[in-house]
Amino acid sequence: MAVRESVAASTTMRPRRRWPTGVAYVGPALLILAVTSIYPTIYSMVMSLFNWDWGIRLDFVGFDNYVRYLTDPAFWRVLGQTFYFTAGAVSVEVVLGMSLAVIVNRLGFGMGIIRTLLMLPLMVSGIIVSLMWKILLDPTLGIVNYFLRVVHLPTSAWFGNAASAMPSIIMVDTWWQTAFVFIVISAGLKSLPIEPFEAAEVDGANSLQRFWYLTLPMLRSVLLTVLIFRTIDCLKVFAIIFGTTGGGPAQATESVQTLAYRTAFKFLFLSRSMTLMVIFSFIILAFVMIYLRVGERGDSQEAS
Amino acid sequence: MTARSKRRLVTIIAYGLALLAVTLTLFPILWIFGISIKTQREAFSMPPVWIFTPVWSSYVKIWSTAGFAQAFLNSIIVTVIGVSLALLAGIPAAYALNRMPFRGKKTLTIWLLISYMFPEFLFIIPMYVLYQQIGLYDTQIGLALVYQVFVLPFAIWLLRSFFADVPVELEDAARIDGCSRLQTLSNVYLPLTAPGIAATAILSAIWIWNELTIALALTFESAKTVTVAAAGFRGYAAIDWGGMTAASIVSILPMLIFAALAQRYIVEGLTLGAVKQ
Repeated sequence: MAVRESVAASTTMRPRRRWPTGVAYVGPALLILAVTSIYPTIYSMVMSLFNWDWGIRLDFVGFDNYVRYLTDPAFWRVLGQTFYFTAGAVSVEVVLGMSLAVIVNRLGFGMGIIRTLLMLPLMVSGIIVSLMWKILLDPTLGIVNYFLRVVHLPTSAWFGNAASAMPSIIMVDTWWQTAFVFIVISAGLKSLPIEPFEAAEVDGANSLQRFWYLTLPMLRSVLLTVLIFRTIDCLKVFAIIFGTTGGGPAQATESVQTLAYRTAFKFLFLSRSMTLMVIFSFIILAFVMIYLRVGERGDSQEAS
Repeated sequence: MTARSKRRLVTIIAYGLALLAVTLTLFPILWIFGISIKTQREAFSMPPVWIFTPVWSSYVKIWSTAGFAQAFLNSIIVTVIGVSLALLAGIPAAYALNRMPFRGKKTLTIWLLISYMFPEFLFIIPMYVLYQQIGLYDTQIGLALVYQVFVLPFAIWLLRSFFADVPVELEDAARIDGCSRLQTLSNVYLPLTAPGIAATAILSAIWIWNELTIALALTFESAKTVTVAAAGFRGYAAIDWGGMTAASIVSILPMLIFAALAQRYIVEGLTLGAVKQ
């Protein structure tokens, strides 16, 4: 998508003025980014090579912090938990959001209002979502366990148990973010041409076949964008874990970012926390590269 | 079964599933609202109480205690400053990225994308250190500035795709008539893309209003936002369901009103990057 945009931009611009004018226009943005994102990124990278913990001690330790993390089983466990959350939440949300989009797209009467209502969770802050679900999923007084008891299903300790805590957080994220997938895929569906579908119907393809052989391939690039956005967002998960379990019980729901928060603000190991974030930034970058590579390969297959 | 009755059945099932999704979406919010207007005893009763006389004491309580009113005001101020900064810096930048040649353009585009993907704490910890030293810690302007790490790339990204819709011929005509770059931007682009700019402003405002991670680390008392105030209710010791639910509803409400008023813009903004070819 980025590639396509920059190609489009370069074909529309003509080299009339030289660069100083352009720089004046991006100047304010550049200044803000220099202070708020370029400076902190460099600072984090430099300080990750020290052992600073908010005191006077400031020794150059080289890659010690990196070695420490990469050889620490606790780090890999937290990373694994973050991947587990991401894989769970993204796959459920994409399947659910896409199904909903296809279903709602079939409706005539009431489609607009249904869309609006389904969109509401996106307007709610992650921390508020956690507070709401802590009350709904309270083991003894919560409405969800009450409903389960009424229909004689087993109840759950939800956030209170190491085994059920992460699936509960995935469920909460699903309630919160499925709407994003739904909205984007809905718009994708609306932009599809009608003719191929009519032709397929005349040829006797059933709706499942039409979905599999027409809708899905035509939505490929939209789907890829949704996947990238949801994956990055889930990897960076913080608020809904901070608000529900705080990483517990027994660190079963600790994610990379909640660990970074505790490392920096509870234990004041600032250098170590920055090391963690530098490693994690590379991991996120790697994910995006893989997605884009997969996308490219699909494009070239389509072309051939 | 005839094709027609089969189609009718499918439609009925589709409505049924859509209705189920709407119920699962709305019930949590409505139930939380219900608890916020119950007395403590009704809120904790099991089986739950479905019929009751609403009381608003929880709202009165959170508004008068725990600095919630101040936090609400802080959120408004931070949102206004944050959105203004993003638009003031983002509009000219988006225009230049689309229509002007300059050195380092590609690097800037890539940085906008990459920094948007990076985790919050990569930026937060250095900014925390810097803010402690220069006195911007726990200030509204300081928080609004750090929000630009994510809001500014997002705004520039959206604005670029709106600006790209303006035909180049219109710009050329304005330039031939003697308009400067700045006049072209303000007389041609801004009026034509006003709905897009509105969408950008609304989505940025929602993002800032709902943000927790950065606010948690960079504010403490005088600049703390609603999300940080609400986070004060978390923890297993928190059994103040009245306070928790009332605080939740109060902080959701402005965004729900936003959503109702500007739904079209929000959908447009959210889907632009993904769907537009």
